[in-house]
Amino acid sequence: MEKPILFEAKEVSKIYANHTALNSLSLKIPEKSIFGLLGPNGAGKTSFIRIINQITAPDTGELFLSGKKLNRNHIKDIGYLPEERGLYKKMKIGEQAVYLAQLKGMEKKQATGKLKDWFEKLDILNWWNNTIEDLSKGMAQKIQFITTVIHNPKLLILDEPFSGFDPINTNIIKNEILKLKENGTTIILSTHNMNSVEEICDNIALLNNANKILEGSVNQIKEDFSEKIWEITFKGNTVSFANSVWGGWELLGQKQMNESTIKATIKLTDKLLLNDFIRGILDNVEIIELNKVVPTMNDIFINVVNQSEKNKSNENE
Amino acid sequence: MRTSKIGLIISREYSSRVKKRSFILLTILGPLLMVGFIFTALYLGQQDEDEVTILIHDDTFTITQFIKNNSNNLNKLVVYDTSGLKTYDDAMDDFKKSDRYDLLVYLPENIIETKNSTGIIQYKKPPTAKSLTFITNTINKAIEKSTLHFYNIPLEDYDRFKSDVQFRTIDIATSEENNNLAKSGVGLFFGVIIYLFIFMYGVQVMKAVIEEKTNRIVEVLVSSIKPFQLMMGKIIGIMLVGLTQFSIWVLLIAVSLTALSIIAFPDMLDAANQAELMQNNVGGEVAMENDFADLVFRQINWSLMIGLFIFYFIGGYLLYGSLMAAIGAAVDSETDTQQFMIPVSMPLFFAYIIAINITGNPNGSTAFWCSEIPFTSPIVMLVRVAIGGEGMIWQVLLSMSLLIVTFIFTTWIAAKIYRVGILMYGKKPSYKELLKWIRFKD
Repeated sequence: MEKPILFEAKEVSKIYANHTALNSLSLKIPEKSIFGLLGPNGAGKTSFIRIINQITAPDTGELFLSGKKLNRNHIKDIGYLPEERGLYKKMKIGEQAVYLAQLKGMEKKQATGKLKDWFEKLDILNWWNNTIEDLSKGMAQKIQFITTVIHNPKLLILDEPFSGFDPINTNIIKNEILKLKENGTTIILSTHNMNSVEEICDNIALLNNANKILEGSVNQIKEDFSEKIWEITFKGNTVSFANSVWGGWELLGQKQMNESTIKATIKLTDKLLLNDFIRGILDNVEIIELNKVVPTMNDIFINVVNQSEKNKSNENE
Repeated sequence: MRTSKIGLIISREYSSRVKKRSFILLTILGPLLMVGFIFTALYLGQQDEDEVTILIHDDTFTITQFIKNNSNNLNKLVVYDTSGLKTYDDAMDDFKKSDRYDLLVYLPENIIETKNSTGIIQYKKPPTAKSLTFITNTINKAIEKSTLHFYNIPLEDYDRFKSDVQFRTIDIATSEENNNLAKSGVGLFFGVIIYLFIFMYGVQVMKAVIEEKTNRIVEVLVSSIKPFQLMMGKIIGIMLVGLTQFSIWVLLIAVSLTALSIIAFPDMLDAANQAELMQNNVGGEVAMENDFADLVFRQINWSLMIGLFIFYFIGGYLLYGSLMAAIGAAVDSETDTQQFMIPVSMPLFFAYIIAINITGNPNGSTAFWCSEIPFTSPIVMLVRVAIGGEGMIWQVLLSMSLLIVTFIFTTWIAAKIYRVGILMYGKKPSYKELLKWIRFKD
């Protein structure tokens, strides 16, 4: 069953002076999912995030949260961790966490209680009365993360949440994000870290030059971009392997693994099924391993962006 | 109860500042220093002066014969003995050698004929204004007498000719004696304080904006609260800090001045005593001593001045503070503020200079216009009101209205620049870019 939609943008555009930041962007984000908002620097991600946060308003287009047109009452339903983030240097961290929670509409008492739980969970409770100047960068990042999620937002927007974290803390935060999702939070993750996209995102949208150039579930996109390329490791000789099946495929490369073992990379055309190919070679060589070559999100990102840049320059010419 | 978001901003700005050690220190030390200064001035006014011995070398050989030595006066005159035909150079040598004399007065031979020629006083330690007045008066009197003697006119006849008319200026509306000089002093005092307050707290707004921008918390804040609310919360919070400081100052000064007047100068609050003193010393030098006390304890309309101060502080602060908030939003660090600070702080400083210069002519056209133009009115109007004059009420009301309209306008402009500026990093914007920001849609 398809998940209900939590957030929707309909043809959202934003133009600054003579620069288009967003060009008629539409997308839907299902409830309880992690949505990767990807794109090179200057693609329009931050502009879009600021529009969702109602920091700026779109020139045209509409946004909906839980089916209702986005308005100031939604502020308490949204949590936002900006890429460039900071805290007051001279204010006690406990106090400023309470202050930020209150700004999101929480009661002081409730905020204090919940914050103490979170501080304890992330092992920083002892630092409640210190100022940010006493803290390491990682601890400061944890506090920022807590202040972003403390009011239980329905929609959580994380802009490069892992930058500045060491691998251990990255893992802690990654797990917290997954836990939040399990508990019903919908998360927009804007990042350049493609590994984390593959690991935790359900869906993605790729922006470039203010336009959406790719959208879909991570699995579907990977499927779409895989080009029926396979790696076959076998025992036998190349000639008999190459002569087993006539037509419908091409050999992209081969590698001698040891004296008798070869790894070949092949690409099947639309006409030939993998089954037919295997049937053809079965009698001639001994198959040891068969792998589908799946592109990484990183490859897809680079390919799609490059393609879009090429199209753009062609249009201009 | 849930505090409103702007209330949260105001209370954070307020409480984080009033808790600061520097605030507490300035708030308590400020008035103590001021009262200390007033006390010292009063004390010195009452202090006996040191005895001064004055040696006179008289080349006319006549003037000194007519000097009547007053044993009550602290200035003691000693006539240099010229019987052995000693010259002024000899007198000078003796003056230098001897510790007995503080001043050496030289009266040249032609001083009687020309009447307005200049005598010379040599000193080891500069003479006080009082000693100087004493010498001038005594010598002039002696010259008069010697002239009378020369023409053989009896002193009584001369006294009949002589007149000594003084004028007192009295306001027909209040029947109060006008003391322009003293009142303009009060005006300037308030002018300086309001100038400092507007500038000091305006700069604090700018610094607060820059702080939030550089530590990058501002993007989190504006995802919870509108930029305009955030800016106004800051401006109002810091304004309340200023008003708190001012109130404490007024309170502390009032309490300590009252205490001081009761303990140290009990007769100064006594109006009858004061009036008597004034009458006995019409235009005389003794009145000078009490002027300051009279000014502090009787002539300042404290409640009017404090009321106006509060209004003009709020108005001027909102005007300049909002512009400084815009400056803070436009730049990335305090070092970049210079270019924008100059055009904003110039009119304020200009107002201060004008305020000093209009005391001589508080109702002239410069004074009028500068007290109406909102960029200078908070300072200039305070000085004018302190001095007083005809038809001030409508002028004050007009100036207040103009100030209100203007600060609403500057706040509006500032908010436009602020909302764009706080999220812009990198290159320092030009004025042209700032104009562009103002025209940006939300």
